Amino acid sequence: MDDEAALIDGLRRRDPQAFTLFFETYADRVYRLAYGIVGNEADAEEAVQATFISALEAIDRFEHHARLGTWLYRIAYNHALMILRRRRPEESLPDEDDALPMPSALADWSTLPEDRLLSREAQEVLRKAIAELPTTLRAAFVCRDIEGLSTADCAQIIGISEGALKVRLHRARLMLRERVSEYFGEWVAPENG
Amino acid sequence: MTCEELIAHLSSYLDHEMDAALVAEVQEHIARCRNCRVVLDTTQRLIVLVHDEGRRVIPASQRSALFERLQQAFLNRPQTLENSNLRTAEDSAV
Ligand SMILES: [Zn+2]
Repeated sequence: MDDEAALIDGLRRRDPQAFTLFFETYADRVYRLAYGIVGNEADAEEAVQATFISALEAIDRFEHHARLGTWLYRIAYNHALMILRRRRPEESLPDEDDALPMPSALADWSTLPEDRLLSREAQEVLRKAIAELPTTLRAAFVCRDIEGLSTADCAQIIGISEGALKVRLHRARLMLRERVSEYFGEWVAPENG
Repeated sequence: MTCEELIAHLSSYLDHEMDAALVAEVQEHIARCRNCRVVLDTTQRLIVLVHDEGRRVIPASQRSALFERLQQAFLNRPQTLENSNLRTAEDSAV
């Protein structure tokens, strides 16, 4: 029995140690994904709670051909979306067939020193820019670039094809790059030519 | 390769999902096109930045209370029949 099968078995037997391991392994990951979608701590915590309760209720029916983490992320993603819809019931989502605008913020801030880009101010710029992405694009970005999951896993979690996931991720990156470049670009010494 | 084509392929390039011939075209383009080089470099830095800084965890002030609430819920779950025939798709969990 592999580690994951042993964990699932422990959860089904209501072994308290299995629960502790389950929480320690996944709670922060679920929190990060949820935070990326809902954008604040209180709602992200609510999503973690709802996710774990749903998962623990369903663990007896869990089919082991899915990976536990992916299954849990998928539940978390759906709870986070539900919470978000309660807050912002009417978000208009972008048409993914629209032509991509060419990048227009062209200051090279990529060589700014680390401490500048890790400053509180820079982090706030980033956080806000991520929060302002359309939800469909933000979900793809959070899953791939913040959480670092694979294209296949993210497609499964969000419930779209890998091709659609890649399109959303690409749009999210370009949109985010444009927004943050408007701020970070001003921190770069003006360049001639 | 035009600037438009480069921008369209940017993510495949950054994610190493591009075949070698196209990679060479990208590199040849950015060697002579400052704007595309900047877009590439800033996108790459952005991805590293959010990955490093996005390491958010549950606030310590909330973590143990959350753990205890969920542990209680876990231990108090009603027992279900073992080998239940009511296996459904994992999506029914939501
Ligand atoms: Zn170009």
